[in-house]
Amino acid sequence: MPAQQTNQPLPAGFQLDRYRIERQLSLGGFSIVYLAYDEGNVPVAIKEYLPNSLALRGEGQITPAISEDHLAAFRHGMKCFFEEGRALAHLNHPNVVRVLNFFRANETVYMVMQYERGRTLQEHVQKHKGNIRETFVRNVFARLLNGLREVHAQKLLHLDIKPSNIYLRTDGNPVLLDFGAARQALDAEGPVLKPMYTPGFAAPEQYKSPELMGPWTDIYAVGASMYATLAGSSPQAADKRVAKDHVQPAMQRWAGIYTEQLLHIIDWCMVLDQHKRPMSVFVLQKALAERHHVVQETSWLNSVSKGFKNLIRI
Amino acid sequence: MKFTIYQESRIGQRKNNQDRIAHCYSRDALLMVLADGMGGHLHGEVAAQIAVQYVTEWFQREACPRLADPFQFLASGITNAHHAITDYALERDLPDAPRTTCVVCIVQDNIAYWAHAGDSRLYVIRDKRVLTQTHDHSRVQMMVDDGLISEAEALHHPARNRVYSCLGGDLAPQVDFSRKTPLLAGDTVMMCSDGFWSPLGNPAIAQGYSLEGVMLATPRLMDQAEALAGRTGDNLSVVAVDWETGYQDQTTSGSVETATMPIDVHTTQMEGFDKSRPRDHELTDDDIEQAIAEIKNAITKFSK
Repeated sequence: MPAQQTNQPLPAGFQLDRYRIERQLSLGGFSIVYLAYDEGNVPVAIKEYLPNSLALRGEGQITPAISEDHLAAFRHGMKCFFEEGRALAHLNHPNVVRVLNFFRANETVYMVMQYERGRTLQEHVQKHKGNIRETFVRNVFARLLNGLREVHAQKLLHLDIKPSNIYLRTDGNPVLLDFGAARQALDAEGPVLKPMYTPGFAAPEQYKSPELMGPWTDIYAVGASMYATLAGSSPQAADKRVAKDHVQPAMQRWAGIYTEQLLHIIDWCMVLDQHKRPMSVFVLQKALAERHHVVQETSWLNSVSKGFKNLIRI
Repeated sequence: MKFTIYQESRIGQRKNNQDRIAHCYSRDALLMVLADGMGGHLHGEVAAQIAVQYVTEWFQREACPRLADPFQFLASGITNAHHAITDYALERDLPDAPRTTCVVCIVQDNIAYWAHAGDSRLYVIRDKRVLTQTHDHSRVQMMVDDGLISEAEALHHPARNRVYSCLGGDLAPQVDFSRKTPLLAGDTVMMCSDGFWSPLGNPAIAQGYSLEGVMLATPRLMDQAEALAGRTGDNLSVVAVDWETGYQDQTTSGSVETATMPIDVHTTQMEGFDKSRPRDHELTDDDIEQAIAEIKNAITKFSK
């Protein structure tokens, strides 16, 4: 029996609990996300727990087949899905995706989330490759960090921050999506679960020593996401960087194009040694804000002093 | 093809359900499969699961939408399922290969083909009588055949559960094949595990399916079987189909019409996964309900 198979999405028009499936939005290794409408015709995003290595929904099927062999693993994975639900349920922040409902059907579980209109940061970056303004980067990440701070305050790590998990609402406000990898990792009592990571954005400790994970792990991903936003592509994977680092420091690569402060912060977040990164979102936010302030002040001072010079000259 | 199909598997009084059932159909072919994992051997339900899943997947691959040769399909499907079970035992270094009975039926062009190993049965019921049925691979059945005991005596014989052919054992299974059996509209083809036929006996089964369609008759007969079996009741499972192609204009609600199905599509129903006893450290149904309640509670609490 083949181990890896593609799961079929629920058909359009399918009535799932009190929602009507419209179409599949995305298909991942662990879940399918659908666009659906509730009874009031409000669009929602529904995430279906369906790990394709453990459960198979064939063409025309509704209830996925889970072999006896995989049942334990399937249920174990369900625990992680519950963690994601719990994490999000406890958060009510404009920059974190809002979970609206959670239910069980078709032998699996579903999480209903607010449907956001807009596009992912990744899509935005690809569209505007090489033409990303500093104010855009600062605006997106400053607000995103507000949301991430809230996540960390709940003793949660996101662990999968990347441009494709950052959604830009049509008003430009970012929303942090997909807490699929979220673990209650700040709580030492919880069992250590098999880490899941995206190369390029996952910190080195996610590969080798999950016990060393902390807010700084998400901060690495924030730095890598900022780097990718400027570069238009993901940076080298951290495990490869440890062997041979090919990532050109932001300070060098974009010198003169973006402010030194911003570039310095990116490099700081992406330091391989987790001890040398900003230790908390708060520290990072402070750095972003402070430095930014200084920049403005200096430029203001500069212009004023230039004015003075001009005056003096006259 | 036009038919009404019903399947159900019950745990009976046992601690876990080692029966597995499934049916699957394309536009032109119907597959029904039932396996009864053997107790007393390690992982009976695993063997049953592998058998049912293997045959179902094999069908999904081969019936596109027709089977080239249904008997060939039955032969290769059952033999390969047997090997899949022995491979499983070998891979995991199990001291004893898990075993299961198996009965598989194909209907294509209104002709039924079936094959079986062990004492899970298939019946064709026509005009209120058992038209034909499988012959158990059991010592007791041999004694009946030799005229040593009667059918009625066989139902209570102490060795009635001993089978000499199964999938997954050390020996290759002895598989019996049916004749090509043309079905008429109104025929019922029913497959069941011994937990069903043993307490009921053939007359009750024939009568039950003569009075009502499979949708109503099956659960009713299962209730009866459970009641008759009493406190030692075995797992019991049934896959039954009322064949409707041709003459009958009247459709029972819940019947299936496959003529409009795309040729590359299969509809599959497999059961028996959640009916066995949950293992330790596994998320139970109650745990799941509790987790969901907790999350919903948090959603309400924090949505302000």
